[in-house]
Amino acid sequence: MTKYVIRRVIQAIPVLFGITIVVYGILLAAPGGPTAKFNNNPRVTLADREAFKRSWGLDQPIPVQYCRWLGACNPNVDDKILGILPTPAALLGPSGWPNILPQGISGSSNGILHGDFGVSVDSGEPVGPRIARAALPTFILATFALIIWIAIAILIGVYAAVKRYSLFDQIATIFAYVGYAMPTFWLGIMLIYLFSGPGLHLLPAGGMTTTRVSPPFGSNEYWVYFGQKPIAAILDIGAHLILPVFTLVVVNIAGDSRFVRASMLEALSQDYVRTAKAKGLSGRSVTFKHALRNALLPVVTNIGLEIPFLFTGAIVTETIFSWPGIGKLTIDSTNAFDYPTLMGLLLITSVLVVFANLVADVAYAFVDPRIKF
Amino acid sequence: MTEPRLPAVTEPALEEIERRADEAGQDYEVQLESLNQWQLAWRKFRKHKLALIGLGILVFLIVAAIVGPILSPFVFNQIPKPDKTVYAGRPPSLAHLFGETGGLQRDVLQLVVNGARTSLIIGFTSMAIGVLIGTIVGSIAGYVGGFLDNVLMRIVDVMLSLPLLFVILVASKFFGNGNVLLIIVIFGLLSWMGIARLVRSLFLSIREREFVEAAKAVGVRDRRIIFRHILPNAVSPIVVSASLIVAGNIITEAFVSFLGFGVNPIYPTWGNVLSNALTFIPVGNWWWPFFPGLAIILTVLAVNFIGDGLRDALDPRSRV
Repeated sequence: MTKYVIRRVIQAIPVLFGITIVVYGILLAAPGGPTAKFNNNPRVTLADREAFKRSWGLDQPIPVQYCRWLGACNPNVDDKILGILPTPAALLGPSGWPNILPQGISGSSNGILHGDFGVSVDSGEPVGPRIARAALPTFILATFALIIWIAIAILIGVYAAVKRYSLFDQIATIFAYVGYAMPTFWLGIMLIYLFSGPGLHLLPAGGMTTTRVSPPFGSNEYWVYFGQKPIAAILDIGAHLILPVFTLVVVNIAGDSRFVRASMLEALSQDYVRTAKAKGLSGRSVTFKHALRNALLPVVTNIGLEIPFLFTGAIVTETIFSWPGIGKLTIDSTNAFDYPTLMGLLLITSVLVVFANLVADVAYAFVDPRIKF
Repeated sequence: MTEPRLPAVTEPALEEIERRADEAGQDYEVQLESLNQWQLAWRKFRKHKLALIGLGILVFLIVAAIVGPILSPFVFNQIPKPDKTVYAGRPPSLAHLFGETGGLQRDVLQLVVNGARTSLIIGFTSMAIGVLIGTIVGSIAGYVGGFLDNVLMRIVDVMLSLPLLFVILVASKFFGNGNVLLIIVIFGLLSWMGIARLVRSLFLSIREREFVEAAKAVGVRDRRIIFRHILPNAVSPIVVSASLIVAGNIITEAFVSFLGFGVNPIYPTWGNVLSNALTFIPVGNWWWPFFPGLAIILTVLAVNFIGDGLRDALDPRSRV
């Protein structure tokens, strides 16, 4: 078991390394380069741009820049091999220990390995806190959606598998087909028309809080307001949550209920289920105690793999309902060519995916004794 | 002891055989219909009701995309001058079956018909690029194996760890320039990983089968083994996932263009004709976003049904 875990962790390292190269490639490929935002500013002269590049280390060769961005190189050492590669001396931090180690040992705090994602070229604030602030609304939205859609998907899937080819099963199949074919953004627009259009003013069309009543979510004023009227604030967010959560639930149930159904059908055809039935156990006991528990194993793994994609996967829903989360931050940063933020978002999500894969594999091997190493 | 019964031959069939025998004279032989692989597949495909419906819908949409803009009384590039200001547009009527958009008061039916062309082209050609790359990478990794396999599969792992919608958005904004061709290339380059994994696993299992061993023993060259012996046996799963890619790419392109990151609005797609639709929802204009979305749903359903039908039809073990 330990050997298996270690092997999987070692396998993940080249993938993580590849991800950093792809993410860094996006910075290099960004149109106009890092000084693009000065292009239309007549006050910034060419000399100013060169000075800007020098002060941010952008005049260095790409391997050195990458090494510093990663946090493996000391940004204060300028020596180079052949004019392009960082010297071994550059790999050591100010304290003499390798630069890659935590700040307490190496004495330097540059690069993503030290948690430094740079500064947003759009708003000028550090990328890390910016992403952290947008993560809370996304977390709230994703958690509610996830709990509801898993519960409903399991109910539908199990019932459809137990009553195979029944009317319910067929309706669930049609629903899954249509749900899969339905673009998320279209569903969102139609829901806005139905529930907050001119006919019914039942639910808010977008945002996370009512602008007239409360300060924008996440600001200091908001937490003051939250302290004064916690119940009103929570109810307000709740009302804004209904439509986006409903959208996410409908779209995701389609695939997951099929998955649960397939997994349940496989479990129901196993020998131990037949044995349990032959022993005279009641149908309900066989279904829920013997089949369901085994059928849920792959389901849980599958859901584990979906969670990191919720982090950005809600881009569509968040955009339509102008939910102030990671998805909206993504769209805003793309519009502003704010690649430090984009790189941070891309990096965090990708690492989450690799981590979730790892945890899912190990957890699956742990709970299913049939898997041998 | 009774004689063993022969299989029952119905009277009309017997008569038909005798009639044909008379016509053909003495040289009459029973003509067995011999069908090749594709004819057999088509025969099975025809039995799949939903797949036939899907094919019908898709053919209808393709025909509409080709001749629709010609037959339509409106020209896409001409924006009619509204005779009076109707901010929210007009709901569906006989003159405008799908209604009129808010603001510029354009005919929604004409937007949908014009959008079909670009949307379908993007969906299918980007799938073709993705399948081509995925099949090449997957067959090399699966057939050659070893170090090369390891490197290629780690690349696939990295690509699959990236949130694809995110990468597509950023790539379309950074490199797309609203150009249809570039958007197709971006979608194609980002949709091959699933196929590559699939093809690799198929190659790994088919490579070990007896007929491949036999071909190797006879001295068949590697290239011929890959193209004549292994690949034809891998076609059916590839076709099914290709249909999923078409569906996914049409939906994603619609969203990316809806946001204004995708195709330039002078080339209408089902996504970018909606770019202002959200503004007019509060004044009650539901028909503008509704019909292009309906077109997307119909296309995706049709493509998925065809994929299902092809899976059954191309699987040599399935009997209908």
